[in-house]
Amino acid sequence: VRGCSGGSAPSATPSWLLTAVEVGYTPALNKNPSLEGLTTASTFVLEQPRCVFEGYNNADIWLVVALDKATSTFNNTAAPGTPETAFQGFPDSVPAYMTLNATLANYPCPKPAGDITVLRVGSETSCAQDVTRPTCNGPLPGPGPYRVKFLALEGSEPVAETTWSAPIMLRTAKPPSSISTMGSGHSAGMIALTTILSILFAILLAGLVAMLVFWGSDSCGGSSTFSKPESVTVRRYNTHHVYDQPAARL
Amino acid sequence: MAKSDDCIHILQGLLVFGNVVIGMCGIALTAECIYFVSDPHGLYSLLKATENDDIYAAAWIGIFVGFALFALSILGIVGVIKSSRTLLLVYIILMLITFAFEMASCITAATHRDFLTQNLFLKQMLERYQKSEAASNNGNEVTKTWDKLMIQNHCCGVLGPSDWQEYTSAFRLAHSDADYPWPRKCCVLDAQGLPVNLDGCKLGVPGYYNSNGCYDAISGPVNTHVWGVAWFGFAILCWTFCVLLGTMFYWSGIEY
Repeated sequence: VRGCSGGSAPSATPSWLLTAVEVGYTPALNKNPSLEGLTTASTFVLEQPRCVFEGYNNADIWLVVALDKATSTFNNTAAPGTPETAFQGFPDSVPAYMTLNATLANYPCPKPAGDITVLRVGSETSCAQDVTRPTCNGPLPGPGPYRVKFLALEGSEPVAETTWSAPIMLRTAKPPSSISTMGSGHSAGMIALTTILSILFAILLAGLVAMLVFWGSDSCGGSSTFSKPESVTVRRYNTHHVYDQPAARL
Repeated sequence: MAKSDDCIHILQGLLVFGNVVIGMCGIALTAECIYFVSDPHGLYSLLKATENDDIYAAAWIGIFVGFALFALSILGIVGVIKSSRTLLLVYIILMLITFAFEMASCITAATHRDFLTQNLFLKQMLERYQKSEAASNNGNEVTKTWDKLMIQNHCCGVLGPSDWQEYTSAFRLAHSDADYPWPRKCCVLDAQGLPVNLDGCKLGVPGYYNSNGCYDAISGPVNTHVWGVAWFGFAILCWTFCVLLGTMFYWSGIEY
């Protein structure tokens, strides 16, 4: 493990220059506006560090991403674009990688109101396997937790850094088989419908049986029997010879 | 005897009126069930995928029951006016059979509606949406239905885009999480069908993606379907019960 302030420096650089100035800013997930995709299974969205690195006009501002447990082993003298900080080796052989290179011009201060200014960590999928792109902003390989910080480098010397962020957990997806599709039982409406219809049907069947059993015999409501309407017209015919009286007198 | 005659005429009048109502309700039931079977909201393939499409079977039974009710109501009117014991007996027995079928249709529709919960649709969507062709035979239909649903109703998933984040799915197997946190159809689309702002959609910026779930768009038509079949059928059966009881009473009083 190399010490940070040790090492042989050929130039007479004072040792305090090798320690970066800590600006009082902690990177955090974007708060405003609230985003649905703030954290997904392999990406998360940070606020841009606006009005943080004022004065470092010549510095390259890098984002350092590390697993929570590896933050203490990160050394500010690590150079971006090398195999030691390449994204493709994260997290097995590379404890922390550096990505999202920017300059102060990318983060103008103050932030215009109404603009959405964010950094999406993990959005580049095309270079995730490409070792010729060690500074790829590739999708994160696991749920974390991760911690990030911004590091300003002039040339290869660290000049300013932020503090490490709070641990960021990504989402873990459950399998769909964990969704319980057992119904919550039958609704009251369905039970009422079934019961009432069954009772009605039973009454009708009982009525039919009663009808057929008492076929022909005096029914229970015997006094209300009624006759069918006349289907045969009664022919009036004379049974006696009726003479016109005047004719008989003749 | 005049009073008895009046009673007879009133009973006949009531039975004829009852049968007229049954006939009209039968036609209405047939028309309504034909409308539901024609699937105006395009949800049949979703329900078939859940293997719970019995509410459509209930609608099919409703079509034929409606016709039967109409035909039998005419028979009933003729039988009551002629006071024919034979006709009315045939009427009562056939009506009881129709009653039984309609009962089955109502109970089927009401029971199977209880199976169609949010979780069932969620599970089906996660397992079949954008499932690769080789692995499924009806996954394609489910995908097309969901796409159409999401575009037409401006919704995403069953409960929201977070469905695709909280659970792994066939969609997730085919598309990486970083590029497709949720399907492209969840984005606000322009006239050509392309996302208006793809980055905004991927980030989940309000206004560039559909944040509400599609469950309301599914359960609304399904509930209408089930209410139409089950409860309208129930109302018809209650009325038919009264008419049949009156007919039985009338039949037992006919002299022969």
